[in-house]
Amino acid sequence: MEQLLEILEDLNPGVDYENCEDLIDGHYLDSLLIISLIAELEDAFDVTIPAVEIIPDNFNSAKRMMAMIERLRED
Amino acid sequence: MSLASLLGAGKGAAMTSFFAPEFFILFLPLAVLGYALIPKGGKKYWLLAASYLFYWFVSGALIAYLLASTLTVHYFGIWLDRVQTEQKAATAELDKEARKTLKKKYRKKQLAIVWLAVILHVGVLLVVKYSGFFAVNVNRVFSAFHAPISVRVPKHLMPIGISFFSLQALSYVLDVYHGVVKADGNLGRLALFLAFFPSIVEGPICRYGQTAERLWDCKQIEYRNLTRGAQRFLFGMMKKLVVADRLNSFVVLVFNDYGNCDGGVIALGAVLYTVQLYMDFSGSMDAVIGIAEIFGVPMPENFERPFFSRTISEFWKRWHITLGAWFRDYLFYPVTASDKMKKLTSSARKKIGNHYGPLLAGSVALFCVWLSNGLWHGSDWNFIFFGMYHFVLILLGNLIAPPVRWINRKLHVNPECFPYRLLQMIRTTVLVVIGELFFRANGLLSGLEMFGKMVTEFSVSSFNRAFFEKCGLDLHDLAIVFVTVAIVFAVSVWQETRGSVRDLIGRRHVAIRWTIWYALILFVLVFGAYGFGYAPVDPLYAQF
Repeated sequence: MEQLLEILEDLNPGVDYENCEDLIDGHYLDSLLIISLIAELEDAFDVTIPAVEIIPDNFNSAKRMMAMIERLRED
Repeated sequence: MSLASLLGAGKGAAMTSFFAPEFFILFLPLAVLGYALIPKGGKKYWLLAASYLFYWFVSGALIAYLLASTLTVHYFGIWLDRVQTEQKAATAELDKEARKTLKKKYRKKQLAIVWLAVILHVGVLLVVKYSGFFAVNVNRVFSAFHAPISVRVPKHLMPIGISFFSLQALSYVLDVYHGVVKADGNLGRLALFLAFFPSIVEGPICRYGQTAERLWDCKQIEYRNLTRGAQRFLFGMMKKLVVADRLNSFVVLVFNDYGNCDGGVIALGAVLYTVQLYMDFSGSMDAVIGIAEIFGVPMPENFERPFFSRTISEFWKRWHITLGAWFRDYLFYPVTASDKMKKLTSSARKKIGNHYGPLLAGSVALFCVWLSNGLWHGSDWNFIFFGMYHFVLILLGNLIAPPVRWINRKLHVNPECFPYRLLQMIRTTVLVVIGELFFRANGLLSGLEMFGKMVTEFSVSSFNRAFFEKCGLDLHDLAIVFVTVAIVFAVSVWQETRGSVRDLIGRRHVAIRWTIWYALILFVLVFGAYGFGYAPVDPLYAQF
């Protein structure tokens, strides 16, 4: 989780990523940041994030992102 | 007389407008009444039959396209499901590495099926929609090089709504491929999802997961749904009949005879066309969503007060939302999430930072999206220009965002203050109006000439009584348009800041409630543009 929070802070500082539950719906992460984020997450966690996973539900909070990463790792 | 002509195949073109009497006085009440009276088990078949009958009325023999699309995607879905089931069985007992290798093999198989579906649907669209445009341009090239050959320009009848139901059909196949939905073995449910009569002509472009189950589930009609659906329909009718159709003669005259108009009139024509398009398309969407609400089916919204947008990018998240979402999910993200683009993003981000790094891959994807968006709207250069115009604007918006933020900080400008936001909204609206001028123009050359006149010959000298008489509008008409636009604006402001206007009215005393709705009915009856002196105007988006 800490690694994920570091990536998010590095990409777009100044957001309370630990507690924020509406990163997409609240417009904290736009489509450009999502593109960067996916590339970073794939490198850091050795997973492949297919386009179909890019939905608000998976990116609205750090917890949701971590859950998606865990699920993709198990696949 | 053939059976087809006896049944009125293809003769109900007027029904493509939800506000044509044939539709809302005859077809719709019968469809609703039959649905209400038939026992629960038969409702879905009634809805399916009504949908196919509607499409038969408006398209005649071209219904074959809808049937073929439905049958093929049904088959492709089942085929994908079979491969996915095989994959599960084959990989169940394997270790992680072996499972990964085998999965790749099955992925390729599935991808081949998806490509087959894409080629088939896009291929049909290319033939019926773009082959004429392609042939005309090939001939232009031949003639430029004085080549003594030419290709025949094919003329195909285009089924109404093909651009809409093709995207819905493809989204179903892609969603099955991605595992977002299960393949549907029930041909009837899939057929109803694709053919549901309110949405087949102009959308919204629904996803299988959004509407298929609800449509097939067929709830009994409830009083609340009936009244709320009718209210939404009525509001859409006001937008379409009182404003959009009334402005049509003015818009047609300016765009067809711009040579005799000066820049001021052309600018007004572009503004009024933008108003007409919004009132027409969003009015039709109100009707679609209202009708679906009567049947108890929530449809995705296609408009969210687009003229309150602060940027072009935001505008396209609020205008024709379901088309934008389709391109985002099935084109933008797949392109940016491809291996090559991810590598490009990673390396570019390290060199040029978090904002401009992803913009490189993003702009490639944006280009694909806006080229497709332009072409989706029509087969002419002005539509391609329209797409590229928005691509450039969105790209520029992203490029200048960091320096603008820096300037705002240095000048202590608060970008969230009302005057700043208002200026952004006005700027966005002006840019949108310019784009719509090219969108509506009769070809790219006409668009460029009109824009040139607007900039270099700005005057309003031709805007006189004779001009009004020629286009059949008078000050009375303009006053009606102004009042109605003001009503829509007030409703939009309330929705933007407070919430649902129907809920607000619903909380009032019964006498106030019904007074408002009767007043709206009366307003449409008195000021609607129909009857003597008005030709019915087809929904503008039905032609796409």
